[in-house]
Amino acid sequence: MIFNLANPLRFQRLIEKIEPITLNIAIILLLVGLFFCFFGSPPDYLQGETVRIMYIHVPCAWFSLMIYSIIALCSIFSIVFKHTLADLISRSCAPIGACFTLATLLSGSIWGKPTWGTWWVWDARLTSELVLLVIYLGLIIINNAYEDKSKADRYSSILAIIGIINLPIIKWSVDWWSTLHQPASISKFSSPSIDPSMLLPLFIMTFSFFFFFISILLVRVRGEIIQRKIEVIRFNRMV
Amino acid sequence: MGKNKVKLDFFKLVKREIRIMLKNFSIIYSFSTFFVIASLIFVFSVNDISYVKIFYKSIVWIVLIFSIMLVSENFLNDDFKDGSLKELQFLGFSEESIIVSKSIAMWVMIMIPMLFLVPLVFVFFQITLHELISLLINLFLATPSLTLISILSSLFSVQLKRNKIIQFVIILPFFVPMIIFTTSTGTLFESYNLNENQFLILIGIFFITLPVCLLAGKLIMREINK
Repeated sequence: MIFNLANPLRFQRLIEKIEPITLNIAIILLLVGLFFCFFGSPPDYLQGETVRIMYIHVPCAWFSLMIYSIIALCSIFSIVFKHTLADLISRSCAPIGACFTLATLLSGSIWGKPTWGTWWVWDARLTSELVLLVIYLGLIIINNAYEDKSKADRYSSILAIIGIINLPIIKWSVDWWSTLHQPASISKFSSPSIDPSMLLPLFIMTFSFFFFFISILLVRVRGEIIQRKIEVIRFNRMV
Repeated sequence: MGKNKVKLDFFKLVKREIRIMLKNFSIIYSFSTFFVIASLIFVFSVNDISYVKIFYKSIVWIVLIFSIMLVSENFLNDDFKDGSLKELQFLGFSEESIIVSKSIAMWVMIMIPMLFLVPLVFVFFQITLHELISLLINLFLATPSLTLISILSSLFSVQLKRNKIIQFVIILPFFVPMIIFTTSTGTLFESYNLNENQFLILIGIFFITLPVCLLAGKLIMREINK
């Protein structure tokens, strides 16, 4: 099944079918999620209304890491099997991941001002997330720097693999160093230290962001496939 | 017998790199000059020298990173352009041995002379002898990792025809952990919490950087020669 879909043309046909569905699900979940965020969940006893920023900040942070993991996985796949689809996915993921990381940092800053009293602190979690953004920017730049796209894909794969080092640092920075950023409260092994009334909107928003990410990714991959087709046609005409 | 030959070949390679560096003495000269002038500019830019005394470590590190980035651009470019990079691989030298030999040559010919320039900073920045020793140990232990990363950055930029600034953007995030650890270990040393574990962190960083850079470097070199 997977190897059958690994053909870019077959994958493009699949994209055309599932892309509108994922976008519609994302929009519906976003509307439901936003309703729960603003009206269906209580304000925090300590943070007050600012806690609602968490419903955007936390999913964005999760996706910034998840998208990088996808890029890294595709990069390994691309280097080992030299598969075009893996290159296309990792190339398409980079700008989306950068946007999610930027959203994480911006929403965190907006939350940090009333809660911590400052827009920014040089905390281990924040710094490592900022480094992740810079790595994403590096990937985007490298993807556009080389005239030969296959070469650019290979170099960005190598850079993505080196950047994996940053992922565990971001994840466990709050445990390794004494940071201002609070430790994990949802993904704890015992039980989440968050009230179910807040957990529900958070999960709805997470699923909404997930489908949004999938739909954007599919659009970008389709765009990349079409662009490469055009390049092949142009090249054939020149020959 | 076979092992001895490999050893001999590797030392020949290192010798070759050092000889090339000596021939291109302008690289060492421009690096040293840039290092001193850029450090001086910092002193001129602040009116009160006490600020420089506080931030001297950061200044030295920033200047060092920028100067090494400037030099590393040419480091592999010449070998790539005249085809000797390909030739070395045809001769049977592994990608790893080429990277390690280049790193050793760069460290011996650029980093070690730079350590002799650091006492100049001692005069400009008016830091104490104790702070100077701490800075020298820091630089001595951290520069091998710095060299490896800069070799990697030059490998990334070898095939770029335009916009060489990309190499800085790509590689700068990887200097972040190094800067954090090197400056913090220096501070711990100066506060007389003398403990060899703090310097072991720098050696640890080197042992993380070495395999990562060798693996990435090998993959890039294979891509270059395609």
